[in-house]
Amino acid sequence: MTYLSELFASRELFYNLTMRDVKGKYRRTVLGQLWSLINPLATMLVYTLVFSFIFRARPSEGDPSGLDIYPLWLMTGLLPWMFFTRVVNGGMSSVIGNGGLIKKVYFPRMHLPFSVAGSVGYTWAIEMGVLTVALTVFGGMPLIWVPVALVFMVMLALFALGLAMLLAIGNVYFRDLQHFTTIALQMWMYLTPIIYPIHLVEDQAERHGQWILDVYKLNPMERFVSVFRELLYDNRWPDLSDSLVCVAWTVVMFTLGFLVFKRSEKRLAELL
Amino acid sequence: MSEAAVVVDDVSKKFRLYKEKNDSLKTALMRGRRSVHEDFWALRDVSFEVPEGSTFGLVGRNGSGKSTLLKCLAKILYPNSGSITSKGKVASLLEVGSGFHPELSGRENVYLNGSILGMSRKDVARKFDEIVEFSGVRKFIDQPVKNYSSGMYVRLGFSVAINVDPDVLVVDEILAVGDAAFQAKCKEKFAEFRRAGKTVILVTHSMGNIRDMCDHAAWLDNGTLRQVGDAQSVMSAYTADIGKGDR
Repeated sequence: MTYLSELFASRELFYNLTMRDVKGKYRRTVLGQLWSLINPLATMLVYTLVFSFIFRARPSEGDPSGLDIYPLWLMTGLLPWMFFTRVVNGGMSSVIGNGGLIKKVYFPRMHLPFSVAGSVGYTWAIEMGVLTVALTVFGGMPLIWVPVALVFMVMLALFALGLAMLLAIGNVYFRDLQHFTTIALQMWMYLTPIIYPIHLVEDQAERHGQWILDVYKLNPMERFVSVFRELLYDNRWPDLSDSLVCVAWTVVMFTLGFLVFKRSEKRLAELL
Repeated sequence: MSEAAVVVDDVSKKFRLYKEKNDSLKTALMRGRRSVHEDFWALRDVSFEVPEGSTFGLVGRNGSGKSTLLKCLAKILYPNSGSITSKGKVASLLEVGSGFHPELSGRENVYLNGSILGMSRKDVARKFDEIVEFSGVRKFIDQPVKNYSSGMYVRLGFSVAINVDPDVLVVDEILAVGDAAFQAKCKEKFAEFRRAGKTVILVTHSMGNIRDMCDHAAWLDNGTLRQVGDAQSVMSAYTADIGKGDR
């Protein structure tokens, strides 16, 4: 408990480290914070061109919102995914990247991965805001679902943080881990129904055996993505079992990451 | 002797010297076990007390464990056995300006660095003028610190750190920061500290500094404590030992 209270007492450090990243990132660029929107927009264009126009991925119509716009459907899944990968990658390298600081000053080290989630989350919140506006403009009703979506955003942040903390410690022992993670995340993205609708997987499962879908659904990000889609694109309550699985993964992953990080934290200065 | 501000009780610190360190998965898998290492005791059963309100010097040759002990005092390293208990807030000045973000302005960095060192935003705001005044970089405070000269950089870092206002200040060999005028200011600041009844623990190789500033001292040799007591007698024993030349 004392650990948590120390962490809470130094929350200003979390804020300052977060703002260091937020402010430092786009310094001396003409477009500044706008870059954080241009990036997802460019990705959206490319994926829409390739997967909607060329490969003809056809997600089912939003129910009950009636939306049928691939780029918007894509972004409701892609933005959470991009947040997830940025937190995992950034949080993982935050410990090694701040090695100089860790060796010279005492402060609760957990603020390093936390502040990565903070600064990436700041960008993500803006992106999600813009997406919500776009969904509304094109005829959806996402606004009333925003409070529920916020709860799931916090959950996804904690889930990603848990994994990031776990990997950050692992990375101190084995530097290979960060290169491995980059590859793993890339594969993970294609194993999650972000750019293609899940019914394509369901079709294959019907043809080749139900186990395909069962294995596919073990992926926690599949649940998160579908929850965000149901909330913002379809505008309805997310599936109860999906929500519960999200909660369970969040609790398990965050607790695990927290405990592992806390246990190794004191030794970081000598390991780096 | 007044009450102890810091009690170092039977502290030992061991490092592993790796012959072949496995920090890639490949080597770990190929070798099967974790790694081959040998223990090195940087500190062995060191015990002493630092009286409250004293300025306490740590002396010893290079590699005698001074910095390791200092890092243990600063809670950066944790001893393998023994304990360190301190009364009140401990701040450490091991390196100045670590944690500065080069693209941010001096002003933003003062706030950032202050909070890394454990100050609240309010504290920094209250002391901001004092910090800037002390550093002497007022004219450039809204410039990104990457444009600072290295002297300005450390001076600003030092000014933040010295204004943390702890009960115990742990200082490593950084009195060599800045020009003579700035050093004089630093010494004055330490004197002020002492007058306020705060405790300072410092490592330095400068005999002059120890004589001028310290009232107590401890002498470390190869990780063990050789002598502790008032600065005069420890220093004369230490200088006599150095006079004997390398063994």
